Amino acid sequence: MRVRVIRAGALLALSALAGFWLLRGTRSADAASARGSESAEVTLCDGETKVPLAADAPKTPEAGQKIADELMRKWREKNPDRDWEAEERTHHTIAPAADNSDLVGATQGGTYGEITARDVATWKTESERFVVAGSKVFHSGAELGSTIGVSCDMCHPDAANTHPETYPKYQVQLGRVVLLRDMINWCIEHPVRAQPLAADDPRMRALEAYIYAQRKGTPLNYGKR
Amino acid sequence: MSAHRWLSLACMLWVAFAAERASAQAQAKAPHGALAMSEQEKRLDKLLLGKSLGVPMRVVPSAWAATIPEDNALTPERVALGRKLFFDVRLSADGTVACATCHDVSRGFTDQRPVSEGIGGKLGRRNAPTVMNATFLTTQFWDGRAVLLEDQAKLPIVNPIEMGMPSGDAAVAKIAGDADYQKEFQAAYSRAPNYEDVGRAIAAFERTLVFLDAPFDRWADGDSKAMSADAVKGFALYQGKARCVTCHPINGANPIGSDNRFHNIGVSARHQDFESLAKRALAELGKGGDTQAAIDRLALETDMSELGRFTVTKRQSDIGAFKTEQVRNVALTAPYMHDGSMQTLWDVVDHYNRGGEANPYLDGGIEPLALSEAEINDVVAFLFALTDTRFAAQAAKIEAAQRARAKTIRPFRDNDLANRRKIPFETRIRGEKK
Amino acid sequence: MKSVETKYLEARDSLFEGLSKLNRREFMKVAGAAAGAALAQGILPPHSFTPVRVANAATGGDEAFRFAYISDSHLYTKDVNDRFVRGLMRAVDDVNRMDPQPDFVLYGGDLAQLGRPEELETGAQILKDLKAPVRMMVGEHDWYFDLGEKWRSLFGADNYSFEHKGVHFVTLNSVVEADFWTAKGLTPAERMQTVAGLDNGSQSSFTVGDANRAWLAKDLEGVKDSTPLVVFSHSPLYKLYKKWNFWTDDAEEVQKILKRFDTVTVIHGHTHQLLTNRIGNISFHGMLSTAWPWPYAPQGLPEMTIQMSRPDPFNPNDGCGDGQVAVHADGMVDKIYDLWNRNPVTVSRTYMKSNGKEDRAPKPLLASY
Repeated sequence: MRVRVIRAGALLALSALAGFWLLRGTRSADAASARGSESAEVTLCDGETKVPLAADAPKTPEAGQKIADELMRKWREKNPDRDWEAEERTHHTIAPAADNSDLVGATQGGTYGEITARDVATWKTESERFVVAGSKVFHSGAELGSTIGVSCDMCHPDAANTHPETYPKYQVQLGRVVLLRDMINWCIEHPVRAQPLAADDPRMRALEAYIYAQRKGTPLNYGKR
Repeated sequence: MSAHRWLSLACMLWVAFAAERASAQAQAKAPHGALAMSEQEKRLDKLLLGKSLGVPMRVVPSAWAATIPEDNALTPERVALGRKLFFDVRLSADGTVACATCHDVSRGFTDQRPVSEGIGGKLGRRNAPTVMNATFLTTQFWDGRAVLLEDQAKLPIVNPIEMGMPSGDAAVAKIAGDADYQKEFQAAYSRAPNYEDVGRAIAAFERTLVFLDAPFDRWADGDSKAMSADAVKGFALYQGKARCVTCHPINGANPIGSDNRFHNIGVSARHQDFESLAKRALAELGKGGDTQAAIDRLALETDMSELGRFTVTKRQSDIGAFKTEQVRNVALTAPYMHDGSMQTLWDVVDHYNRGGEANPYLDGGIEPLALSEAEINDVVAFLFALTDTRFAAQAAKIEAAQRARAKTIRPFRDNDLANRRKIPFETRIRGEKK
Repeated sequence: MKSVETKYLEARDSLFEGLSKLNRREFMKVAGAAAGAALAQGILPPHSFTPVRVANAATGGDEAFRFAYISDSHLYTKDVNDRFVRGLMRAVDDVNRMDPQPDFVLYGGDLAQLGRPEELETGAQILKDLKAPVRMMVGEHDWYFDLGEKWRSLFGADNYSFEHKGVHFVTLNSVVEADFWTAKGLTPAERMQTVAGLDNGSQSSFTVGDANRAWLAKDLEGVKDSTPLVVFSHSPLYKLYKKWNFWTDDAEEVQKILKRFDTVTVIHGHTHQLLTNRIGNISFHGMLSTAWPWPYAPQGLPEMTIQMSRPDPFNPNDGCGDGQVAVHADGMVDKIYDLWNRNPVTVSRTYMKSNGKEDRAPKPLLASY
C-alpha cells in the first residue's frame, strides 16, 4: 500500500511537472528549442493571438499573469466590438423591455407553467440586446450601407417621428399599403441612399425592433397621418 | 375597243376615282390643322363602340361617382347634346373653331402641337391637355383655375384668342335659333338653351371619354405577358428609383397618375424672364392694397402665364407651379409640359433625371435621379404601355418616330447633372450663364 | 382690350361666386383644390409671401435694417454627399436674390458635418459666393474634431462682437462641452462622432462656459441698457430638451448677464425647426437648417412656439430653408422663416410683444406626435 502511494505520488509529481512544462511551453515544434537562449510564443485558445515569451522570463505567477493580460489586450484590440452592447448603451438609451417580474414564482402546477427569475431575466436580456443591436444600426450610416454618410438618427433622434404604431397604412408615394419595414426601406433607398434591405435581413429586423421599442406604450392606430 | 372593254375601263376609273375621293375625305382637314369634324365623329363612334354610361372598367365606383356633380348626372340625352356641341364650329366667332379643333379625336383628343391655335390663327401660351380621362382630375387647366369640366368648357369659348365669342350669351344666341338644339336642350335639361347647360352638356360628353384599358391594366389584372419585360422594369423604376410615383401615383381611386397638386419642376424657369416676373409679382403683393388690381396691372403689362398656379392662389409656394398632368395615353399627347417644350418622352425623363431646372421655387421633390440609359428606356417603355389598346396602331407609329428622334436629339440630357457631378445651384451662384 | 389673363381672372371670380352656391358634396370635392383653400384662407393669407422690402411692407413700417441667415448645413465633401452641398448652394442663391440685399448674412453654425478641414473648406468656398458680407458662428459639428483649429484659421475668433446701425451684436461660442473624451481615450474622430450624434448621451451638455461668460460680461461692460442687443449663439441659451442638447447648461447665468438690457434677441441654430421663446426681456428665435429638419422634442417646448407643419419625407427639402431677420428701431425683430416650397412664416415683433396673442403664425397642418 505504501509503495503504491509512493508510486502514485511520484506519478502525480511527474504529471504536475509535465503539466507545468506544458503550460509554460507551446504545442509548436519550437518547444524542444525553447530551453536555451531562443524565445518562444504563447498562443491563445483562438489559435491566432500570440505573445512572445523570452526564455529567461521569470517563472512566477505574476509573470504568468502579465502574459495572460497581454494576450487579452491583443485580443480586445482585434475585437473592438466585443463590448458592443455596453458600449452602445452608453451612447443611446433604449426603452426597457416590459417588466415580467411579477410572474416569477407563479405556477399552476404544470412544468411549462412555472416561471422563474431566470426566465424573466432571459426574456429581458435577449429582447433588449436585439433592440440595442437595432440602435447600433440605426445610428450608423456605415452599417446601413449609406453612400452619402446619412444615418437614420439624422432625422429621427431616439427614433422620434417614426410612428410605427400607424402602420399598416396606404402610402401614395410607395404605391401600396406599407408596413413599417417598407417605409424603412424607402428611407434607406432615398434619404440614406443605400441598397434596400431584404425583409428578413438581420439589420432590418433589428431596426424594426429598436423603432418599436422606442415607441413603447403608444396605442396602435393603423392608418394615422 | 369593244363596248365590254370600255365598260370595264370606265368601271375601273370610277372605282379609282371613288377610292381617291374616299381617302381624300378621310384626310379632310378642318381649319387650324384639325381633322374634319365628320371624320372625327366617325372615329369617335368606333372608339366608343360598346361603351355604356356606367362606371368604367377597373374604376372604383365611389371614385367615379365623386367626379360627377349632382346636377349633371349622365344621361344619353345630355351626352348626345354635349357631343354635338363639342364638334360645333358655330360656337366660335369666325365659325372655324370647335372644341374638337384643339381636342381632336384623331390626335389624342388634343392637337399634338406645342401650343394651341385659335381664331385668326392666333397662338396661345399653353399646351392643350387631353380630354381623355379628364374627369378624374380635380381641377382643369395647367393652373387649375377651373374646378369642374363644366367650368372648363365655358372658358375657351369666350377666350379672345381661342374661340373668341364676346360672351356666353352671344355663344348661346348663335345656336339657340336652331330647332334641333332647342329640342335637345329640352330633352337634356328641360330648359331652353343657356350657357350653363352648354358647359354641363359638354362635360357630360367628356365624361364618356374614359380610356383606361392599356397593356399596363391588363398586366395588373394578371396577364403577365401583357407588358414587355422592359415596361415591367420601367414600372418598378416608376415606383422606386425614378420617383415618378411621388407626384404621378396610379391606383384604384386615382387611375390616371396625377396627384392633382401643383409643382414647380423648373420648366417655366427655362424662360429667362421668369424670375424677374416672379420678383415683380411679389413686389406688387408687398405693396398691399387691392391685390386684384395689382395683379391685373401686372397681367396687362407682362405675360404672367409662366407664374402658373401663383396667378390663381397668390401664394409664394405656388410660383412657377403647374398641375401634375395625367400619365395615361401620353404616347398620344406629345409635345409635353405646359408649354409643349418637350417633343418626346425621352426628353421628359431626361428633364427629371437631371433634377429639373434649378430655380428659387423648385419643388424639393425634384432631385437628380442618376438613371442609366437602360433605366431611362425602361421608364419610357412603361409610359408607352399606358396607352389604351384602342389607340395601339396610332401609338406604335408615334413611338417609332419618338424613338428615332431620341436616338440623336436629346436636348435635355445631362449626365453630369443626373449623376450629381455638377450641381445647378453652383452654376447659378457663380454667375455663369447656362 | 383686356388681356387673356384678366379675362381668366374674371372667369375665376365668377367661378368663386358660383362656388358659394355649390351643395356640400361638390364643395367638399372642391375644398381640396386651391380654389376652396383660397376661399377658406382669404385670397391673400397674411403669411403667404415674403414681401420684397417696400415702403409699407406688411411686417411693419419702421424696419431699420435686415440681415439674412443660413444655418446648419452639415456638409460632407461634395463627392461624399451632394445633397447637403446642394442645400447650402440653394440657400446662397436665395440670399443673393434678395432685393435689396441684406446688410449682412449670419452663418449659424454646423457648416461641416464631421468637422473635417475639407468640409470646412468646402463650406467656406461656397459661402464666398455670397454677395453680402458674412458673419460666422461656430457649431459643435465644426469644433470637436480639432477643437476649433481649422475654424479659427478660416474664420477667426469664435467669440466676437460688432456694432451695426445702433445695435450691438455679440457672437458667442455656446457649444462648450466638458471634457468627456480624455478619460475614454477617444481619438479626435471618435470624439467628433460622439458629438455629431444628437441623441448620443456620452457627450456633455452645451455650455457657454466660465471663460466665454467672462468674455461676454466684459464685452458688454460699456454697452448701455437701452442699446438693442442681438446675440448669435448656436445652442439656444435656454433649456428645452437636455437629451438632444437643445440646451445650454449655464443658461440662467448667461441670461443674468443679459438681464439689464431693454431688448435682447437671441438667434440660435442647432434645432433645425421653427422655435420661439420669450424669457423676461429676451426673445429667442431658432434658425432653419439647409440640410434636414429635426422633429420637435417630446417635452420642453416653449409656449410661444407655433410648430412648423411636420415635414413630408417624400420631399427631401421640406422643413428646410433659410431666412431673414428684420431689425426695427426699437431693437425688436421680425423673424422670417423662408421655408423651401412652403409659404414663408414670420414671427413678428407684434407677436413677441403681445406674448403670442396677436399676429399668430398659422397652425401646423400636420402636428408632431
